[in-house]
Amino acid sequence: MYLNVKAVQENTYDAIVVGTGISGGWAAKELTEKGLKTLVLERGRDVQHPNYPTATKDPWDLPYGDRPTAEDLEQQGVQNRTGYTIRQSTKHWFVNDIENPYTEKEGKRFDWMRGYHVGGRSIMWGRQSYRWSDMDFEANVKDGIAIDWPVRYKDIAPWYDHVETFVGISGQAEGLAHLPDSKFIQPMELNCVEKELKKSMMDKFGRLLTIGRVANLAGPLAHDKSPQRGTCQYRNLCSRGCPYGAYFSSNSSTLPAAAATGNMTLRPNSIVYEVIYDEQKGKATGVKVLDAETGEQHEFYARVVFLCASTMGSTFILLNSISKRFPNGLGNDSGELGCNIMDHHLGAGANGDVEGFEDIYYYGRRANGVYIPRFRNIGKDKRDYLRGFGYQGGASRQGWWRLVSEASIGADLKEAVTTPGKWGIGIMGFGEILPDHSNRVTINADKKDKYGLPTLLFDTEFKENDFKMRKDMANDAAEMLDAAGFKNVRSYDNPNSHGMGLGIHEMGTARMGNDPKTSVLNKWNQVHACKNVFVTDGSFMTSASCVNPSLTYMAFTARAVNYAVEEMKKQNL
Amino acid sequence: MNRRDVIKRTAILMGGVVSAPAIMGILKGCKAKPGVAWVPKHFTQEQAYVITEMAEIIIPKTDTAGAKDAGVPAFIEEMIFEVYSEADRTKFMAALEDFTSSTGYLDLSTDEQVNVVTEAHAKAIEEKPQERPFVMAMKELTMLGYFSSKPGATEVLRYEAVPGYYNGCMPLEEVGRTWAT
Repeated sequence: MYLNVKAVQENTYDAIVVGTGISGGWAAKELTEKGLKTLVLERGRDVQHPNYPTATKDPWDLPYGDRPTAEDLEQQGVQNRTGYTIRQSTKHWFVNDIENPYTEKEGKRFDWMRGYHVGGRSIMWGRQSYRWSDMDFEANVKDGIAIDWPVRYKDIAPWYDHVETFVGISGQAEGLAHLPDSKFIQPMELNCVEKELKKSMMDKFGRLLTIGRVANLAGPLAHDKSPQRGTCQYRNLCSRGCPYGAYFSSNSSTLPAAAATGNMTLRPNSIVYEVIYDEQKGKATGVKVLDAETGEQHEFYARVVFLCASTMGSTFILLNSISKRFPNGLGNDSGELGCNIMDHHLGAGANGDVEGFEDIYYYGRRANGVYIPRFRNIGKDKRDYLRGFGYQGGASRQGWWRLVSEASIGADLKEAVTTPGKWGIGIMGFGEILPDHSNRVTINADKKDKYGLPTLLFDTEFKENDFKMRKDMANDAAEMLDAAGFKNVRSYDNPNSHGMGLGIHEMGTARMGNDPKTSVLNKWNQVHACKNVFVTDGSFMTSASCVNPSLTYMAFTARAVNYAVEEMKKQNL
Repeated sequence: MNRRDVIKRTAILMGGVVSAPAIMGILKGCKAKPGVAWVPKHFTQEQAYVITEMAEIIIPKTDTAGAKDAGVPAFIEEMIFEVYSEADRTKFMAALEDFTSSTGYLDLSTDEQVNVVTEAHAKAIEEKPQERPFVMAMKELTMLGYFSSKPGATEVLRYEAVPGYYNGCMPLEEVGRTWAT
């Protein structure tokens, strides 16, 4: 009995954070800085800054010209659906699909891109960082779609300030009401051709092009709390992990801050598969963990649990947490848990050739592109679909690859290749997907992963609104490139080039709302019916906007932690 | 005993550690260059010979390294046997055999080899056939291997591991050459 009590005490913390990606890192930092003894659980292996195995390899140090082998594709075939992630330089950041299977409902593709390691996808993320505005928070209620957000811009704006100051967001202030400026550090530079498009778009369409807003240090941070973070060296090898700490990741930023408090216990190889619900107390008491290395099962306890295991990861844990009170998954009184999956649809835009500028080139590899903020369905513009899209892209000159299909061979080829090819420019849309109850994920008890745990079954598809929007994504892009005088403009719209998920912005499966009958979380990211469980990854999103979501997860996480700690102080949790 | 057999036998005698091209060099009375030999793990000596010589024709040694010096033939073998799918490998190997026999490649002089490869390449560029000809597969592999090699990336192209800053509008003459990455 004594031993048992002691074991429980040893496994008891003030707070538990599940996951170490963007949201988990932030939860860990904020909780520990507020003095809470916090256990941070990560299902994958440990990764410590700045130990990223391929980060400083030159092209000739990487086998196979960095291409995936047949064996790699056997192990990581689903992860390779992006076409750019399974490389010799990056494949170790993505899961083995054979060990970590999931199921797609027949004929319906879902592209689930994952990395199981400390830092999660904060290591490989695209780093594009944009604020939401009230245009986004009010969209559902104005359009009569799904449910209203319980939050408005004024509620989250101070938290954007809070996280941006720590992260360091490089960007250009533009004063747009529907895409509020962040607290920026200095912007990166547009190249000559991009400046040409910017000017033409403003002159001819009144539309803005700006440099991407990106969590890379184009200049120094405005604080001294992250001495391990240096400025961007323009290598553009971010997705390998940055030994300079020049972009924001959990490993380079939030986890070191949490560790510095002395309040964090980080436990890698810890697969959380269930939240423990106490029927008497009416709240969660901790989590159940499967040790990925030893196969042992453990229980850890805390006053408050933050689920930050990624949208699908946290949804799995909740769906798998069955009790008398919650027979359909923890907090799932509404039946919405696992539903309303959103992403951003992509694969529609345009490319063009650029004449002139032959005597201009660039120096350095900018880890960023251009951004064209949404202009559709704003003000008097009304389309036959709801919401809108933003474009990302950029201009560059062709490299050596162009000569594969040109006539040079031999010594001629070696000579020709020293001059860069013509300039080209491309922009691709990222479109907002509406929440739809029928796009959902459920537990598949019939298929087990390598640990014997059940897996997920996805049933998602793009809908009419997406297909209508894509026409504009392609046509508007071509029209703007044409108007700028670019040549041979080619628009494209490949809805079959991706399934839901390939935007790697999956969201919405535990949405927040005012009414517990139609939502899983309240406005504080708190499970309506189990107040000491908070969910702050993408699953809380009630709609998707068209901007990259990670910055918003950071802000909501910090806000939720602040609320949770206040509630703990008031003895409400 | 024809030349093919000579190569085969010599390779066997030498324990397979000297490559076909090196042996060809010896047979032709050329001096074998140190450091260029490679030991094929999967290709036969004859296949390795065709791959090696074609790669060098596509990217020859000039005042900078050629495909051989840059290790491209061994790179191509790795690509075919470790990266390619079984179907693609089968196709490639069939095309290699077909190209070798239809051109009588093993019996061509160096000049004749250059002519055969150059003509096949010119035809492929002009006609753009649906099925990618062998010479184009070789060109792509050779260029990938060469321009990701140290001499290709740093001596022919320009490479900066750590640029340190970005200038989006720099005169080309200040940059000098095409970026390797």
